[in-house]
Amino acid sequence: MLESLIHVCLAGLSKGMFIWLVASGLTLIFGVLGVLNFAHGSFYMLGAYFCYTLLSMFSDNFWLGLALGPLCVCAVGFVVERFFLRYVYHLHLPYQLLLTFAFVIIFDNLVKILWGGGSIGSPTVTGMAGSVSIAGRLFPTYSLFIMAVGPLVALGLWLMLEKTWAGRIIRAASSDREMASALGVRVPALYTGVFVFGTWLGAMGGGLAVPYVGLLTPGMGEGIIIDAFVVAVIGGLGSLKGAFLGALIIGLLSSFGTRFIPSFDMFLIFILMAGVLLWRPQGFFGEAS
Amino acid sequence: MGRYLPYMAFGLLIVLLVCIGLFADRFVLYLTMRVMLLSIFALGYNLLLGRTGLLSFGHAAFYAAGSYGMALFYLHINPDPLLGILAGVGLAVVASLVIGFFCVRHTEIYFAMLTLAFGMMVFSLIWNLRDITGGDDGLVGIGRNPLLGFSIAKDSQYYFLVVFFFALTVWIIHRIRSSPFGLVLAGISENHQRASFAGISIKSYRLAAFVISGAFAGLAGSLGAMLESNSDPFSAHWTHSAEPVLVSLIGGLHTFSGPIVGSVLFVVLREIIERFTQNWMLWLGIILLVIIMGFRGGAMGSAEQYLARWGRKFREESAS
Amino acid sequence: MSSLLKVEGLSKAFGRVVTADGLNFEIHAGQITSIIGPNGAGKSTLINILSGTLAADAGRVFLEGRDITRLPTHRRVRLGLCRSFQVVNVFPDLTVFENIQIPVLGIVRKAHHVFRSLRRERGVTERVMEVLGQLKLVGRAHDLASELSHGDQRLLEIGIALAVKPKLLFLDEPTAGMNPVERVETLETIRRLSATGRTTFVIVEHDMDIVFSLSDRVMVLHRGEIICDGTAEEVKNDKQTRECYLGEEVIE
Repeated sequence: MLESLIHVCLAGLSKGMFIWLVASGLTLIFGVLGVLNFAHGSFYMLGAYFCYTLLSMFSDNFWLGLALGPLCVCAVGFVVERFFLRYVYHLHLPYQLLLTFAFVIIFDNLVKILWGGGSIGSPTVTGMAGSVSIAGRLFPTYSLFIMAVGPLVALGLWLMLEKTWAGRIIRAASSDREMASALGVRVPALYTGVFVFGTWLGAMGGGLAVPYVGLLTPGMGEGIIIDAFVVAVIGGLGSLKGAFLGALIIGLLSSFGTRFIPSFDMFLIFILMAGVLLWRPQGFFGEAS
Repeated sequence: MGRYLPYMAFGLLIVLLVCIGLFADRFVLYLTMRVMLLSIFALGYNLLLGRTGLLSFGHAAFYAAGSYGMALFYLHINPDPLLGILAGVGLAVVASLVIGFFCVRHTEIYFAMLTLAFGMMVFSLIWNLRDITGGDDGLVGIGRNPLLGFSIAKDSQYYFLVVFFFALTVWIIHRIRSSPFGLVLAGISENHQRASFAGISIKSYRLAAFVISGAFAGLAGSLGAMLESNSDPFSAHWTHSAEPVLVSLIGGLHTFSGPIVGSVLFVVLREIIERFTQNWMLWLGIILLVIIMGFRGGAMGSAEQYLARWGRKFREESAS
Repeated sequence: MSSLLKVEGLSKAFGRVVTADGLNFEIHAGQITSIIGPNGAGKSTLINILSGTLAADAGRVFLEGRDITRLPTHRRVRLGLCRSFQVVNVFPDLTVFENIQIPVLGIVRKAHHVFRSLRRERGVTERVMEVLGQLKLVGRAHDLASELSHGDQRLLEIGIALAVKPKLLFLDEPTAGMNPVERVETLETIRRLSATGRTTFVIVEHDMDIVFSLSDRVMVLHRGEIICDGTAEEVKNDKQTRECYLGEEVIE
């Protein structure tokens, strides 16, 4: 029983860290730009496909694919922000959301055209294909790797936002756009930069997903974006710290839910999301405004 | 003259629909029914989005409530079609009352996220309660028994029932939009703070708009269940909630006829584009992009603007 | 003089900043009362609490003897307590007529009619035209509110508040942003409406000329306390007021 619990925990943690990789970029973009980006799931999907294609071009070198794939997606993100999203910041919420939704539809179908509508089996990563024995049972090495990457990304983001010059500007712009602009920050350029960086995070999530999820499908972004929304909401929209903890909670909750009440795991997650929105709209970990 | 124009347009539309019902082939008949169902869904929905300014990602749940309410009533209680529709709409009203009660506490992005959460709860229930809802198979075998002595078993007969409910919806939504209630909704959408200082309890009005739109989603759902003779779990999925939004946007968010025109364009364009390419959805995405970037009034809004400009020019020319 | 509004021990603090510190006062019907005070004295907070957009930490508010401390905004409005805003706060994309129609419908409890045509509401239409007449905006009835000049929008703003036939109306800097001509006209309108005796005005102002020319009574608010309360003359000559408030103005 104990062994099984440990494994449910481990599975939950790795799933949570995996969602965190996607939710981090979503949250960063929302925190600074104030736009909830449906297309973030598409960047994740594109990250996975680019990564897959590149690694098959470079004789299955996963790390090379992971390094280059997300950079290609960044170019896509740049186009989306610079030529489209920039012109709807002043509009009402439905237009912003629907613009990003339009990109979801476009990217899903472009992927179908370029890579085919079916699923693609993904390769394994050299050196991480196997499993290790934990508490008497086997656990995939790659999941352990994801569990290590998640906190590293969190640490990197924290260091960047708190300790660097760019981070200070980002924080200033997210708390008061006008003030930052008055202080000479080129806000539009900053927005583009943050969006592209957020895109890179999402695409990295996708790249790292290639060995993790096993199959690539054109609709794979739509599932993860909802998970990321849930996590972002539970942590408090725009709060990176909240999103990290929210991802852990959702990972564990869905893992335990699947194990013990398999019929209601999804229900459980959404009832938690609604509950947080109703009683603590600033999120579990956000400060009350 | 201008005042009677909408009534004339409405009359013409009904005549056209009847003609289609009498003379068109089965395929056109089916498409027209789909257009009308989508219109009913979107007309109700746009009362919430275009009028009240609330973007819901949960209305697929009420469509599904109508669909499953109808199906369950037919399969377990009584096979009468009218009672079935009533049951479907009733279930949708109850669901939207309960869900709306919680959701109208927020607006904007928080409202959108709340409706998404509740909508997905409904979806997960439908997906998992296999014994009641049939799970991923849905509910099948919904027949069409005679209605008040008239057979509606054939599509060409059922068609007129759909026309009836479509006309009813158009009439009701029109009445609502030109009623005090409709004006107050527009006021709330423009400036909710000011509206509450006009003695308006904004939450109650938002809830009322939410329930009305939920009821029409339910109507579309129960009619859809009878048309397809099944209930589909994915009709509750959030992506289905996006459909009335897209349709309203294409037709024009802030116009009365927008949802209808949008539904026609949506279904007709899909048919045309699918003849030539495999990628209707890609084109839909591009169309949306173009509308949001350049033609936010949608088809009807842009047409209105164009007509107004043209009219002004015409007057100026005739004056000089 | 009868007491229209009674405030008892009203307190509100934001963290350490006390914006209302056990306020006690009454507003009398028929008197134009002004509330003045330097920036951050707690004027806006007071209006927000009294009109129901902000909850007080302690204390009670009575309107005509009825406890309204916990009532939501729209209920207070229906009981006859309304306010206008510092910045233009109208329904910009509705017509001037509709801007007034909404509060009239709200107050005659007809706003919830889902099925009746607006055109049939003759009584409402008459009342709207009456209000527009008071504001001299009848000619603009079918223009969009956003097409009005700034001054006319401010006037419409007051009109929306008047349309609910308030017994007590708070005007938050009613002439802010107006040109001198509009300002004089607006003051004249307020004086005229006050003379009819249906509505009692409470004005929150910065501009001392307006305050002293218009008010029957002036209350000075400073750091959440009332430091002076009396006629315009009395307040002008009050030592404490001059120190903490007028002094600043003079220095400017």
